[in-house]
Amino acid sequence: MSTGTASNRPRYAPLAPDPRARAHLLVTDHQDIAEAAFAPGIGLADFPERWDVVAHARVLPEPFGGPGVQHFRSASHLLALLRHRLAAETMGLRLYVTGSEPFVWDAARVAIEAGMGREEMRLFATGKPVRRVSCVHCRTINPGVTTTLVTCAGCGVVLTVRDHFSRVHNAWMGVQCDAEVPGEVPAIEDLSA
Amino acid sequence: MTNARTLHLKVARADGIAPTLRRVHLVAADGARLPPAAPGAHITLTLPAPAGGRPFHNSYTLVSADPEAGYEVIVRLSDRSRGGSRHVHESLAPGDMIEATAPHNLFALHSQAKKHLLIGGGIGVTPMIAFVTYLREQGASFELHQIAAPAEVGVFEALLALRTGERIHIHAGRDAFGLTALLAAQPLGTHVYTCGPAGLMDGVEASAAALGWPETHVHREDFGAAGGEPFVLRLAASGIDIAVAGDQTMLEAIEAAGVDTPSLCRGGACGVCMLPVSEGTPEHRDHYLSEAERGAGCLVMPCVSRSRSATLVLDI
Repeated sequence: MSTGTASNRPRYAPLAPDPRARAHLLVTDHQDIAEAAFAPGIGLADFPERWDVVAHARVLPEPFGGPGVQHFRSASHLLALLRHRLAAETMGLRLYVTGSEPFVWDAARVAIEAGMGREEMRLFATGKPVRRVSCVHCRTINPGVTTTLVTCAGCGVVLTVRDHFSRVHNAWMGVQCDAEVPGEVPAIEDLSA
Repeated sequence: MTNARTLHLKVARADGIAPTLRRVHLVAADGARLPPAAPGAHITLTLPAPAGGRPFHNSYTLVSADPEAGYEVIVRLSDRSRGGSRHVHESLAPGDMIEATAPHNLFALHSQAKKHLLIGGGIGVTPMIAFVTYLREQGASFELHQIAAPAEVGVFEALLALRTGERIHIHAGRDAFGLTALLAAQPLGTHVYTCGPAGLMDGVEASAAALGWPETHVHREDFGAAGGEPFVLRLAASGIDIAVAGDQTMLEAIEAAGVDTPSLCRGGACGVCMLPVSEGTPEHRDHYLSEAERGAGCLVMPCVSRSRSATLVLDI
């Protein structure tokens, strides 16, 4: 059921600063960014203003601090201040987001709500797939899914993670795995990027 | 030009609102409902030429459009009028019948914008009037900067029905207006719409690009930009040569020669009139062809573009 059907999984292009932009802000939910997140010849130094997540950061981040690196204690902390920052921003900013896929699309949602269009943001999800899975039967969002089958925390059925991603809900579609033929449960595998 | 979508309109009123501005109120000739139109839409009127020449097809923005009440346009008497705007100013009278295309919109407001920044110059006020009316109704966030000749500031204030608390600014001349500072101060999610002289619109585009605005947030509407050196147009397949006069567009010359060719906006925006070029060098003035298509030189938009070579050969 999860194979052979049309997929709308996001495709990500490695990050590079947009030369037409007035200002750039790179945000990530990691501390270290994989080299694969950058286009050839591009690195951290090309993004002078960076926000990252360092669990035990002791200095309060300054969302209007300009160039430099700001450490946030959690992704939620970072996203809350990103919302605050974007509300005061003017046209010409580009937002670059890298990290886990759920974080990348949470940040994209914050940017869209601030009025940014897709051409004003660049997204790149890295790392092993860790997905939010939405149960189509009970609407429960199951976070942190790494395998093709998962037991829904809401209604208890075993869901198969379909290759269908909602950019609005930032979640993958989960459907009862033996809905077509009761009792026919496919083998469990790791999700592939 | 006559087809199933041709509208048969009747002039209900025609009022001079300034020495070179005339407002014309058009209703359906048979009293039926007219097609609705979103703000920014235009219609193309068929206007008689002097001395029985081929009629002109001039596009005018609808400053208001209501299926019951009718359409309103404002026409500026052009110094270089070949007869279209002169006819509207000097001959058109209530009761006259006039043919028009159904409304088309190549200058629509962006539904996802957080804020609409409107920059008009001169007669480019016409879509701005339609936008302001709509944005007021919607309660949307907007700001208008309209440049007017000093003598027309009062006329434009009346047209826009200024209300206190709104960000509507009418500037007497372009010098009174800081474009870069204005664009630099706009919040995320702003879309800018500009209509007016090419210099003003080019300035808006260039300043916005320099400040990092994505192209998708910059919208412009231009009509006109006709005129240039005369040249010869050869229609290879039809086997005819046509002289294109300096004050005539290629499309008008083709139509005057009795060759039917499709067209829509007549402003270089929609792409409907595109024709294949087999010899000669086009002077592209449209906003439709990509840089690559221009470089290839195989296509031309005859409604606004001209020829750099003395002869341009089209494969029609």
